[in-house]
Amino acid sequence: MSILDNVAGNLAASTPGSSTELRRATWRGRLQMAVLIVVYVVMFLAFTIPFFWMFFGSIREEAEIFANLYPFTWKTILPIKWSLKNYLDIFGISDDGQKFGLQFQRFLGNSFLVSAGVVLSSLFFNTLAAYFFARLRFPLKNVLLVFVIATMLVPFQATIVPLYIVVDALGMANSYSGLIFPWYASPFVIFALMQFMRDIPTDLDEAAVMDGANLFHILWRVIVPLSIPGIITMALLEFQFIWNLFYWPLILISSPQLQMIQVAIATQTTQTQTFWGRTFAGSVTASLPVIVLFLFLQRYYVQGIALTGLKG
Amino acid sequence: MLATPISTPAKGWGRIWNRRNRYYLIAFLFVLPALINFTVFRYLPILAALRASMYQYSLLGGFGDFVGLDQYHAILSDSFFRNSLWVTLKFTIYKVPLQVLFSLILALFLARENLGTAFVRSAVFTPVVTSVIVVSVLWSMMYHSQLGLINSLLSIAGIPPQAFLSNPDRALPALTAMMIWKDVGFSMIILMAGLKGIPAVYREAAVVDGAKPWEVLWHITLPLLRRVMMFVMVTQTIFSFQVFVPVYAMTRGGPLERTKAVVYYIYQYGFLFQDMGTASAMSIVTLIILLVVSVGQMRLFRSDVSY
Repeated sequence: MSILDNVAGNLAASTPGSSTELRRATWRGRLQMAVLIVVYVVMFLAFTIPFFWMFFGSIREEAEIFANLYPFTWKTILPIKWSLKNYLDIFGISDDGQKFGLQFQRFLGNSFLVSAGVVLSSLFFNTLAAYFFARLRFPLKNVLLVFVIATMLVPFQATIVPLYIVVDALGMANSYSGLIFPWYASPFVIFALMQFMRDIPTDLDEAAVMDGANLFHILWRVIVPLSIPGIITMALLEFQFIWNLFYWPLILISSPQLQMIQVAIATQTTQTQTFWGRTFAGSVTASLPVIVLFLFLQRYYVQGIALTGLKG
Repeated sequence: MLATPISTPAKGWGRIWNRRNRYYLIAFLFVLPALINFTVFRYLPILAALRASMYQYSLLGGFGDFVGLDQYHAILSDSFFRNSLWVTLKFTIYKVPLQVLFSLILALFLARENLGTAFVRSAVFTPVVTSVIVVSVLWSMMYHSQLGLINSLLSIAGIPPQAFLSNPDRALPALTAMMIWKDVGFSMIILMAGLKGIPAVYREAAVVDGAKPWEVLWHITLPLLRRVMMFVMVTQTIFSFQVFVPVYAMTRGGPLERTKAVVYYIYQYGFLFQDMGTASAMSIVTLIILLVVSVGQMRLFRSDVSY
């Protein structure tokens, strides 16, 4: 109960002020503090140990992963002999890697290409659409908005076979365009950017109209610069979405040369299930871009999820 | 564009009509690409699936005979399809309430801003930004019956190595536990935003009136958070109902069909058995189930407390 009291107390006191200070001074408060720190450490480890195991497993000799499993000690997680062989393997630099025909640089390149295509095109088209809904006059605009919002109700994974039927009929199966085109517009991004643009005072674009600027100019010169935080947030979420996409490239792409890295992990390394080191190295390679971006731009992520999650 | 002078002088109302139409036309061009995308890639697939579900249809053979609703009859009496819906439902029922509970606990513990909580928040959120496939591959190694990290951890407590994914009774709970681990940070962020949205006056007033902290939590914070928790529940239900990647990467639906969720079964029919007609019919049935859930969500949202 004391922990619950403490936690609830954190929430009850709007500012961590005098009452908390007072409590901290007491013996009971100190004990609570210690328990709380233990809880934080346990939480931290529960979510990071698998990643440490993966990361350090990728930079040690493979035999070590298995040799130090029992009993559980620091050696289970941390390497004794460091080795980059797993990376040399998956990038096809070492002899072993070439023997297996591994070429993760190819899949990595495909993922970057498709992600760049989706992020750039979707930023452009979603910004245009959001501007339309937020600031322009149009008859029956609300009907169009319902048309856009209603697509949020279409469950993505459950309707992927139907999507494949359409994309295949358009001749885009097994191609970059099939990976990019379906995602150049998103109802969630339009909705979030629309909320953002609505808050910009209208006298700014009215002033621009007086100057004779056209609509695209107003968007480019007035609205976009003021929406930069929202646009960065949406770019991050779009990048994470497309980079991590699995099911769609799995069914769309049949030639290995065009495959994205997430699918490559599942198809290239699990058929050689005993090569755990390579699987770890591939997983680290595939996760590094999103994790690094997240660690640097954490605030935008959290904002974006709170924005699309709460209001969307 | 509004202020651009019209070069050809026309009659009064005609000029206004033209100018307004030109404005509308240009405005429409802003939204047109998005509308085309949603028409072609979100609405058209549903129509295409409705059509395909009434034909014998395979990717290689193309359209065959018109069979009407036969394929719907067939799947609704297919015990494997019903099994897959049951598996999906069980996964959802295991996952969603536990995930909301855990994310609420995490949100309450980590709501306060300091260096320690910032670290823990980042840690909790790392699985959210990592792809489902990486998490699935990683956890299938962790769950490995001899070489897995989890069995190594269990050995500290003297527990002998366990089978997780190959045990029919444990496979689905194992997948569920992993997906809760992956998604809990996502719902935690939404709940934390909800917590911050509750005006501090309410809690302060209760504290002034002599309420104990846990009473404040139970009688003030949680009721006011109800709306956000409902939102998390419903969106997570819809996500969970579409589980695919863990099944694909970890169990392929086994052992004994115990983890064959409906989206994986659809994938199997369409791409492994090459029967797109039946796969389309199953997609439509799943879509209808999820639309009913979504519409139910909207109903629930209309009646709620406001503050």
